[in-house]
Amino acid sequence: MYHRIQLRRRRKSTALAAAAMAIAVALPATPALAEVADSPRADDAAIVLAARQDPGTLDYVKSNLTALRLWVPGNVMEPLVYFNADGTVSPGVAESWEISDDRQTYTFTIRQANFSDGSPITAEDVIYSLEAMSQSPVVSNAAAHHAVEDIEKLDDRTVRVTLSRPSQNFWRGMGDVAGLIQPQAAADQIATKPIGSGPYRITEYVSNSHIAFEANPEYWGEQPEITSVTVRIITDGTAGLNAIEAGEIDASPVNTVDLWEQIVNRGLDEAYRLVTFPQAGEPTYAVVNSNVDHEIRKTIAMTLDRQAFNDAFGAPWGVENTCTFGLPHYPWYEPASEESCPYPYDMEQAMTRIAENGWGDIPLEYASLSDVPDLSLPADLMIPLMQAAGFTVERNAMDLARYSQLIFQGRPPQFDVTIMAGPGEPTQWACSDPQNGGWSTYCSAEYTEALAAADQALSQEEYVKHMKEASAILREDAVIIPIIAKAGVGLYHPDLVGFIEPRVGVAIEFAPMSWQ
Amino acid sequence: MLLHYVLRRLAFFIGAMFIASVLIFVLIRAAGGNVAAVVLGRDASPEAINALATEYGLDRPWAVQYLDWITGMMGGDLGQSFRTGESVADLVVSRLPISVPLAGAGLVLAILIAIPAGTYAARNAGRSSGTLIALISQIGIAVPVFWAGVLLSLLFGVQLGWLPTGGWTPWNVSVLGAIQSLVLPVLALGLVMAASLSRYVRTAVLDVMNQDYVRTARATGMSQTRALLTVGLPNAALPIVTFLGLLIAELIGGTVIIETVFSLPGLSRMILSNVAAREVIVVQSTVMLIIVFVMFVNLVVDLLYGLLDPRIRVAG
Repeated sequence: MYHRIQLRRRRKSTALAAAAMAIAVALPATPALAEVADSPRADDAAIVLAARQDPGTLDYVKSNLTALRLWVPGNVMEPLVYFNADGTVSPGVAESWEISDDRQTYTFTIRQANFSDGSPITAEDVIYSLEAMSQSPVVSNAAAHHAVEDIEKLDDRTVRVTLSRPSQNFWRGMGDVAGLIQPQAAADQIATKPIGSGPYRITEYVSNSHIAFEANPEYWGEQPEITSVTVRIITDGTAGLNAIEAGEIDASPVNTVDLWEQIVNRGLDEAYRLVTFPQAGEPTYAVVNSNVDHEIRKTIAMTLDRQAFNDAFGAPWGVENTCTFGLPHYPWYEPASEESCPYPYDMEQAMTRIAENGWGDIPLEYASLSDVPDLSLPADLMIPLMQAAGFTVERNAMDLARYSQLIFQGRPPQFDVTIMAGPGEPTQWACSDPQNGGWSTYCSAEYTEALAAADQALSQEEYVKHMKEASAILREDAVIIPIIAKAGVGLYHPDLVGFIEPRVGVAIEFAPMSWQ
Repeated sequence: MLLHYVLRRLAFFIGAMFIASVLIFVLIRAAGGNVAAVVLGRDASPEAINALATEYGLDRPWAVQYLDWITGMMGGDLGQSFRTGESVADLVVSRLPISVPLAGAGLVLAILIAIPAGTYAARNAGRSSGTLIALISQIGIAVPVFWAGVLLSLLFGVQLGWLPTGGWTPWNVSVLGAIQSLVLPVLALGLVMAASLSRYVRTAVLDVMNQDYVRTARATGMSQTRALLTVGLPNAALPIVTFLGLLIAELIGGTVIIETVFSLPGLSRMILSNVAAREVIVVQSTVMLIIVFVMFVNLVVDLLYGLLDPRIRVAG
């Protein structure tokens, strides 16, 4: 079916329409002409995508930025295995694998294939990659390797990983960034041109401009139909929408809520295909310093009108109210309900508690991340709600670099309340030692034990059970207070098909895409 | 006397360079945060941040870091990006083919529009045509450069489809593509700058038109136009040149906005994103280069002044 994109160059459309009418009058209609089945771009082997953020580096071992994880894994770099949306596991760099009954020994048979630079994938490369990840400064990368006791080469194509205990994190990590395989010989170019065995290779990365990909001729699988992909980095949201409206961009796979109004006003939501998917979504949650009294934390939770956040941040984007830290595709996730929300929105009770206990005299510092719209806008809601309940809240706005230093890395963190959106992986809050209490560590021994039990689970049922227990502990303590879970939202040219839900973290895979 | 003047200006230039280098070095650090924290993301532990900061050499005393950087600069080594390991010199050189034509063409466009328009407005002051030009330039001054950029992009990129809304086609890929990428940004920058420059030209020309030497020239039988061109404009040139020197600083500010609006990977946008990422070496070295350039232009203007007008030499 030919979908006409009305917003492209109206003058051209008018001229084309006139020409089409002239042809229609001049020629008798034939079945072949009447049934135009393909897009005008059916033979096109190129796509141009828009990205809102510049990664700055492509070194996925050292950097955890979403701007990097969207494009490199799954396209350039491959993990050992792929976890599909339907729960099945597909081969990646590992052609096959065996897992011992006690789930402590994993034996991977390496695919006989080449990296994009023509060098063969070797057992040494696999060992090097896994060991590099175990040393990664990115917590989630290294966490997958915590239980690894030994990695050994059995032969040129076989690697055995021995764990000290069963670990769900290890196995899941082998299908995520923690399991990406690179050639040791090319490791020094990882920041600008990482080499992998995926269907694409990077031809050029120019910071603030673009990342260019081309089909990898060495790829072991079927060559993709789209052979050229350009990810244009357009940091200004309006400029990005202009480019889409002018037809310069074929898809904007990840969009931010602040652009929603413009997207609707320009009719882009109708002219383009809107795709929502949970993997690139993120929970929005309040964080209260654990040093703030538990009763005050509970009261702050009561001031959070989840529906107000939902209304403000675009229900069309697939936003769900929740009191569970995570994303809707996680098996233990629960939407907001009486059972799952110990401190539901109750302004009257919050006001009474504040007045009775004199908490209104305690100044609370709200740390606000000013240069990220997805986070500064929720602050505009949360602060007035807290103030209306009677809290004294002072807003301290700062940019990401300063926020990182004071809030993420501060020990103890230099704030009382803040709001955040980001990865939904609850293991990021694990911490058993209160001395290390900070942003990325929740420091409840009970919570950490529940997560450890989940990690060591031998079955999916057991894993889900322990993760639900962990979620309950988190929400009861009101340090991390989930508000909404947002889905990832992409805008795609209606003729561009083949989008699949991300398999390697949040990565948008190009290979399945084609012009219909 | 002239040598003394030149030496004094050079000493001022070197002193200002030193102060600027210290200010840049301190200010980017005083803003807080560090590149290691930005690279590793929010869930990195302080230990990991510190380890990476140590690897980058950011844990060394500020004095050591400053000396390391400034001696490298003086030896021609601008340093490296922490995140990618690319040399700052290469990064700067790769951005020049975008930023230099953008700023240069913007400035030329502004001059080409402003001098005739300002002169015409001055000559026709009090008449409707002169008032109209003055009014248009006043409106131009009130238009923020980003707004001009967005409007041009919407009109010529989205509505008419004549030019790309943004992005950059490198010169070595397509010369025509590179020119097309620059047309709207240059227009946005040039038109907005022309507005303020034409106001200045109008004032300067109005000023000289009332001077005795123009009246004397007219008394010799010269037409008003000829008197203005041969006697008036050369005398109005000095303040206009001064204003042009100041305009170069404004130009750099304008390119930051224009490069963002049109997604051009130029020098200004590179600095902006590196400030956000606290890539201190990239920011320090690049900003220092720009300051050297701007101050050098001002130094040349000062020296030219001295050469052109002996009174300034004496007073300076």
